[in-house]
Amino acid sequence: MKIQDIINGILNGDRRSIARAISIVEDDEMVIESSEVIKGIYNHTGRAHVIGITGPPGIGKSTMIGRLARILSDGNKKVSVIAVDASSPFSGGSLLGNRIRMQESLTENGIFMRSLANRGMNGGLSRSTWDAVKILDAAGNDYIIIETVGAGQADLDIVDLADTVIVVLGPGLGDEIQAIKAGIMEIGDIFVVNKMDRDGSFLAMKDIQDSLAMTPQKEWKVPVIGLDSLKGKGYDELVSEIMKHGEFNGSRPNIRLDRFMKEVEMALQAEIRRQYLLEARELLKSKDAIARFSGEKIDPYSAAMKILRSGKAGL
Amino acid sequence: MSGGMYLVDGKNLSLFKDKPIKVLLAKPGIDGHDRGVLVLAKAFRDAGMEVLYAGLLPTPEEVVDTAINEDVDVIALSLLNGAHLTVFRKISELLKKRGIDDIAVVGGGTIPDGDKPKLEKLGITGNYGPGTPLSTIVDHITARASEARSRKMQ
Repeated sequence: MKIQDIINGILNGDRRSIARAISIVEDDEMVIESSEVIKGIYNHTGRAHVIGITGPPGIGKSTMIGRLARILSDGNKKVSVIAVDASSPFSGGSLLGNRIRMQESLTENGIFMRSLANRGMNGGLSRSTWDAVKILDAAGNDYIIIETVGAGQADLDIVDLADTVIVVLGPGLGDEIQAIKAGIMEIGDIFVVNKMDRDGSFLAMKDIQDSLAMTPQKEWKVPVIGLDSLKGKGYDELVSEIMKHGEFNGSRPNIRLDRFMKEVEMALQAEIRRQYLLEARELLKSKDAIARFSGEKIDPYSAAMKILRSGKAGL
Repeated sequence: MSGGMYLVDGKNLSLFKDKPIKVLLAKPGIDGHDRGVLVLAKAFRDAGMEVLYAGLLPTPEEVVDTAINEDVDVIALSLLNGAHLTVFRKISELLKKRGIDDIAVVGGGTIPDGDKPKLEKLGITGNYGPGTPLSTIVDHITARASEARSRKMQ
């Protein structure tokens, strides 16, 4: 598929083109192709409501997204889901398992779902996810749901990327919730306590409400919603808060500029990384010279400096 | 590709890794015996592939939809219930109907020797039975994936 065909396909909502375009932006070595795709579609982006969903593993995020996506797609709205999973740092492989719990609602409701593996790349994950969102946005989606796992860097990224961040917690987290709260209370626009059918769920809700009461009040009042994803209870409230938050965002013009600055920073990082990879490949070409350094018992720092000064390992 | 190495979590990784092979594992049709397919999923992951499992009881339409949306290189089908000629054929027909020639399809399960040529005629290769070494299956998928990749590049 040619890049121009892919771009036309995305704008027409063709799934194969969308899927191939995401493969391109996912590929660390296709920075140039990625930038061509994004250039071609950029003017058609900025319409979708991006919803980020994060929380500890096993809390029921995938099940919840399966239901939420189906409800949001009612009334001819286009919904897509991106789920981010970790790659093994050892084999580089990964099991992308989130689909299983959403499967039933996908095909029959015409929901596009894509799994992304982080491929152990520093920074690679964020850029490819941002670009995938752009592609789905240009393809005419009304809602784009992104699922990320756990606390940490990925969560911070999601604050920049998503219009609405939903933090999913559950009963029985016990003291763990204290640890999770440290990085997570600040990022949620909406808090969800899933598994309301279980013991301790009301305590979990109260606990979250108490901690929110202690953080400084902002313009947006953060709601805490209880969900029972098995029976589908609480989703009306969740959807209505998502809509309200979307309207609230509309009244904050700075969001767009902040996000654009972040995007430029990432594009710059990607380009510098690409140049670094090319450079490093060139510099490390001559294995003989490196073997000689080794024979002469030159330490790696001095060897690296020698290589840098001479411009190549051939010397 | 060979090249420099960098260190992540104590493990050396090549600077210029090839893009991982992406595989969709599926048991289309009425077959709940998923022990084997879960073993394969782990073996493929450990061989450095990105593995999707379609879960139990997906329809052929769902399998093809998933393969397209995820832009996989290979669909690996497994059935132990004897319906492989019907269901595997349906999947290869759906792919053809949607104009897809850059996704390879491989099969496996309890497939009688007599059925294997019929499946191969549909482009469904491998068709390994119980007791096949995991490395044989991984090698076969790797070979089929590189074929599919070269068609994607065109």
